[in-house]
Amino acid sequence: MVSSPVSMGTPEKNASETLESWKQIAAHLNRSERTVRRWEAAEGLPVRRREHQRQDTVFAYSNEIDEWNRRRIRTQLRPAPITTVSESRRSDGPLPGEQAGRPTANRYLAEHDAITRTIDLYIAGARGGRGDLMRPAFHPEATIAGFCFGVEYSGSIEHLFRWIDENGPASKIEPRFARIEIFETIAIVHLEVQGWSGKLAGANARISEVFALLKRDGEWLITQKTFHWHDS
Amino acid sequence: MAQSKYATEYDGVVKTMQMYIDGGRQGKSALMRPAFHPDASFFGYAGGNLATGTQFLFEWIDKNGPAPDIQPRFVSVDILESIAVVRLEIDGWSGAVSGSGVRMSDIFTLLKTPEGWRIIQKAFHWHA
Repeated sequence: MVSSPVSMGTPEKNASETLESWKQIAAHLNRSERTVRRWEAAEGLPVRRREHQRQDTVFAYSNEIDEWNRRRIRTQLRPAPITTVSESRRSDGPLPGEQAGRPTANRYLAEHDAITRTIDLYIAGARGGRGDLMRPAFHPEATIAGFCFGVEYSGSIEHLFRWIDENGPASKIEPRFARIEIFETIAIVHLEVQGWSGKLAGANARISEVFALLKRDGEWLITQKTFHWHDS
Repeated sequence: MAQSKYATEYDGVVKTMQMYIDGGRQGKSALMRPAFHPDASFFGYAGGNLATGTQFLFEWIDKNGPAPDIQPRFVSVDILESIAVVRLEIDGWSGAVSGSGVRMSDIFTLLKTPEGWRIIQKAFHWHA
């Protein structure tokens, strides 16, 4: 597969500061703790967890938080349009609501960022072991397909949410965007995930995931997750 | 992956895709149905409305009838062991429903089953 690696803002320990509590994460973003907790629950703010016997503690890498925040701001400044316009018409001039003279590349960036934000919700749910966190990333009719230890899993995406809940936190997952391709109203994302752990995943599992997405009312929703589970 | 293995898998994927193309060209869903996994899904906008479900696709193909001049091109065939992604561009769709000279961009995801490669989703963008 031809890949164009896109950095997720992965933890480079020397370049990034570790934020060790909700308080520090909130201070870093200059928001209240309540707001950043809501952002994690609803918008996939990349908060990690250390698993302990009694209670998990949260932490975050400042560069991941900053990258997420940049995407959030960009998306708010330029919400993806509700209707899509073909390339040919796009080159004819500014779209309704679009400022004249704005480079058309910005439209691509807005779509690209909207897609990574949707996948961020998936990653946040996977990391937290919480199906409810990732549910908003999916179309109601979304499906899953793939093999896990020789058993085929295909059908409703509800299978995935249940699996995620049952698997529990996977605080060390390392996701990488291997490919993001957008064709007007549809898109494909190839995500490589390593270090998946949990009650069902075991330790340090590697999964290749392909997501198909559909643009609906200006929002990108996953319509399918297909995966290949690499047996170690 | 050894070269010979890749070529075998590639040919398997293309063979399944050919069933889709043949069904579209002849306007016979029966030709393409075996290419699809029983749980396959279908998504895309047709004339501004969201169409979902393979049943919609199969009925559309039958209703549309023959599209003898379709020009399919494989843009990419990516195989990740048990899953595959195919980008297909088809120009020159014609028929009772589609009208003439229509261009379609498709993304197919396929799953490698014991019976061979099967389409598990078709997503399309219809160039209006």
